[in-house]
Amino acid sequence: MRNIFSCLIIALTFFSFNANSVTLRAVMENVPDTKFIQELLPEFTEKTGIEVEFEVMGYGEMHPKLVPSLTASTGSYDFMPVDFYWVGEFDKAGWMMPLDDMIAKDGFDTSVYFNSLMELTGKVGDTTYMLPFYNYAMGLTVRKDLIENASNQAEFKSKYGMELKIPTEWDEYLKQVEFFTDKDNGFYGVVNQGGKADPIAMEWSNYLFARGGAFHDQNWNGLLNSSNAVDALNDYISMINNYGPIGAESFSFDEAFNVAAQGNAYSYLTYNWFLGSYNDPEQSSVVDKMALIPVPGEGGLNGAWGWSIPKSSPNPEAAWEFLKWVESPDIAKRRAEMGGAATRKDVFDDPALNAKFDHYPGLKNLLATSKNFPVFTYTPQFVEVMGTELSKAVIGEQDAKTALMNMNNQLEELAAKDGKR
Amino acid sequence: MNKIQFYDRRFGYLFVSPAVLILSIVILAPIVLAIITSFYDYTLINRSFENFIGLKNYFASVSNEKFIHSSIVTIFFVLLVVLFEFLIGFLIAILLNQVEKFRNIYYFILLIPLLINPVVVGLIWRMFLHPQLGILNYLIGLIGIDPVNWLGDPQNAFITIIFVDIWHQVSFMIILLLAGLASIPEEPYEAARVDGANMFEQFRDITLPYMRPVIIITLLIRLIFALKTYDLIYIMTKGGPGDATDIISYYIYRSAFIGLDLGQAASMSVILLLIVCVIIYPLFKFMNRADE
Amino acid sequence: MNSNHIQLIGVTKNFDKNTVVNNISFEIADNEFFVLLGPSGCGKSTTLRMIAGLEDISEGKIISNGVDITEEDPKDRNMAFVFQNYALYPHMNVRKNLSYSLKLRKVEKSKINQKIEWVSNLLKINELLDRKPSQLSGGQRQRVALGRSLVREPNAFLLDEPLSNLDAQLRVEMRQELTLLQKDLSKTFIYVTHDQVEAMTMASRICIMNHGEVLQIGKPQEVYDKPNSIFVAKFLANPVNNILKSKIIKKDDSLWIESLNIFINNQNLNNLSEIYFSIRPENLKLNNHDQSYNFEVKIIQIENHGHELLISAQLEFDKQIIYFRTTKDKYFMIGEKIKLYFHIKDLLFFDMITERIIT
Repeated sequence: MRNIFSCLIIALTFFSFNANSVTLRAVMENVPDTKFIQELLPEFTEKTGIEVEFEVMGYGEMHPKLVPSLTASTGSYDFMPVDFYWVGEFDKAGWMMPLDDMIAKDGFDTSVYFNSLMELTGKVGDTTYMLPFYNYAMGLTVRKDLIENASNQAEFKSKYGMELKIPTEWDEYLKQVEFFTDKDNGFYGVVNQGGKADPIAMEWSNYLFARGGAFHDQNWNGLLNSSNAVDALNDYISMINNYGPIGAESFSFDEAFNVAAQGNAYSYLTYNWFLGSYNDPEQSSVVDKMALIPVPGEGGLNGAWGWSIPKSSPNPEAAWEFLKWVESPDIAKRRAEMGGAATRKDVFDDPALNAKFDHYPGLKNLLATSKNFPVFTYTPQFVEVMGTELSKAVIGEQDAKTALMNMNNQLEELAAKDGKR
Repeated sequence: MNKIQFYDRRFGYLFVSPAVLILSIVILAPIVLAIITSFYDYTLINRSFENFIGLKNYFASVSNEKFIHSSIVTIFFVLLVVLFEFLIGFLIAILLNQVEKFRNIYYFILLIPLLINPVVVGLIWRMFLHPQLGILNYLIGLIGIDPVNWLGDPQNAFITIIFVDIWHQVSFMIILLLAGLASIPEEPYEAARVDGANMFEQFRDITLPYMRPVIIITLLIRLIFALKTYDLIYIMTKGGPGDATDIISYYIYRSAFIGLDLGQAASMSVILLLIVCVIIYPLFKFMNRADE
Repeated sequence: MNSNHIQLIGVTKNFDKNTVVNNISFEIADNEFFVLLGPSGCGKSTTLRMIAGLEDISEGKIISNGVDITEEDPKDRNMAFVFQNYALYPHMNVRKNLSYSLKLRKVEKSKINQKIEWVSNLLKINELLDRKPSQLSGGQRQRVALGRSLVREPNAFLLDEPLSNLDAQLRVEMRQELTLLQKDLSKTFIYVTHDQVEAMTMASRICIMNHGEVLQIGKPQEVYDKPNSIFVAKFLANPVNNILKSKIIKKDDSLWIESLNIFINNQNLNNLSEIYFSIRPENLKLNNHDQSYNFEVKIIQIENHGHELLISAQLEFDKQIIYFRTTKDKYFMIGEKIKLYFHIKDLLFFDMITERIIT
């Protein structure tokens, strides 16, 4: 009996040390782009013999999961997607491995990426730390079927004295929201993702930009106490309280999406890749009814993720193999074909894809006009601050001016802490 | 102590030493490390013990109004949650104690929520509580009540969280209190019936005195665990709306991993640890006394 | 109202499919010390608890002083119950234990104190009043349990094996105390026990039960001398009774008891071929005083009980074992053959099938 037992132990130990199969592990967000890659993973394993395991989770869980692994000398994850606003922090802490040598050695072409995206999640200064993975510039999704409806057009014109069309100005959009709200019948002009920290901070940034506001100047002096910002926040408060469904103050992007996808809202400001989900009959009842347009006014919020290899990666060479494969022209195109949000110019210029997706030109335009969130070491912390102050304003615990003043002060404090001013 | 007792003791220590060693490493060492960290300016960006700043982190913590606010929210949460779970749990335990048939089935059903991972509990309830698409508002709509903004209104959110926690954890109380009730002998009750005591008097004069140690221990254990509540808030409200449900463990966590200031977070953790020790102390004394 | 005349009529108790007490009826007169005696599981405690109201009755009636109390709550029956394990309230001191029932009835404080003083003097528990039950010995707890029932001044006391948890010495003392107490109080005591010594020494009447049925009721000496069945004959024995079998053969006008090799005349045995017979060990003598019957036995074993010898011997005929007692000055050898003498009136016969006595 004892001999059998010891044999078993030895056998198990041997198998666990089997050096032939490497398994790459990564934390990935629970979004369509991850699913598209997951479908293609078997091809990678067949080609290279390397297994890949994704730990898929919601956005909020990723940063807390990554940080302990990054601070260890050998972490749990071999490669990672980096959200643009962790870039400052990860760079300062020195957690990312520079990729320039590997890029040069294998002749990987990084000129295919949009410049703005390389600036956001590609290079920091002169060093390349990431390959842009997917973009999530935010845009406005509106019910084009309601806009094209003749009786709506007539009514709108008589009420407001202007044409009902795809909105290009912010005021125009506000009027449309008011027009379409019919709370008694459970239909809302807008659904907001007012949930704390990330959702509300990201969504409101669009309102700020739409009104022509900005976060800070080149010297990192805060600009959040401007009248534009106050108007933008008052807009937001009014949207949630007057024209949106109850509970929007705590919605995540999924929950808000569901309200729109079930046909209960005219508009929803969100990440551009949601368009695919709107047109998926399993998730939505407004297939082909939603249009994706740039945020009316002076621009919306840009966003992207980049692929990076942590310095604490257990298998950096195998990780680089994966990066090369997932960002190869062929795989990138197939991901885009499935509905992925591409970061490469060659994808957007591809005729086949343009034939399939008629929103591509609009999306290209959107990427061109989007603006960036403040990127520095304490970006996540600042997102938290925004989340709290904005949330308090929305529920009426403080007025817009106070909220913005608090945000402004804390932005300047954090910037000073980071040595920016 | 004679020779046999000495060898017995020694054997006992030897037997226990591997476990004690592992526990020391896994539990004691991080605690000690956290306490040490709290006296330094230690951040996740600059992970070094170069800047000793003594009690500065502590002063900063107690004068930090967000920390104070979180503490107050936590205190209210803990008191309400423990109180209601105790009352409801005790009532159910008393009822369950009188049931003979199917008792195991009821027990199992009541136990299920407790067995569910708190993250899953939070996610399920978020779905149920969705103001337009969740089943709860649908059901109350059927009887003509307007949809309730469960998690978006600050007052509601706080109460809703308490309710979900009760749903999740009340069976903890039931288990312990039921075990206590089941161990009470039947005879004093019979003597009381003969003496003329009604149900209430029997409860007050026999059940409660017997249950006193179990009640105290159960309350204290639950209290300590309640102070550590994290998952529910993280999943359901992220401390919002505003900061209506921002409890202390979540606040400390964010200070460490988003604010990246580990020294500050460590000092807040130590303060929390001290509070828990203060609560444990009477429990400890009480349990020692109960051994006599 | 000082009397308590209790009557059970056709009382039956069923637990699911088991009938634990089967259609019993008896009457207890005023001021009796009535003992329910029987082996474990015979239903005596259940019967007592039904009288107290702690168990529901499946069928039948209980009458107390002419009033049907079958449906009454325990507290309304004016009876006190003393439990086998005392059932004291562990979190109250002795004083509070004693006064609990009075407090519930909102009796005024001075009266309560009066009663407590009376009871503690009676039972000599004055020094124990401030102690908690866990600080009392078994005997002390028993007194407090008794005291608790006394304080209520009920019409009847129901005691469920109150002495079985005490050591032998204490039991003897308490037996006497209880007997005296009952006489002092002049109240009905209904007492349950499995110990036939207690029953014999304390009872005014014994009611023997087995398998949920009443077998015999009578004064102790009556039941001892004239048991109506083998069970009673065996049960009431200290330490043991002789119950043996024998064939009966008719010879001329007499009946020959084969195992003992004696001839008797008894008309009731005429038609039987085999019977049980019984003769108590103390009724077998070594000398022929006025006993006219004898038989021979061979000594097998001698037990020295300190105050006497208990000797087992074999019948000559069929080797059945029979016991007899002698004073300790006698000397016997194992294997020795001797004659035992007895008086015919001490020989009892029981039917082979019904096991009941044949008179």
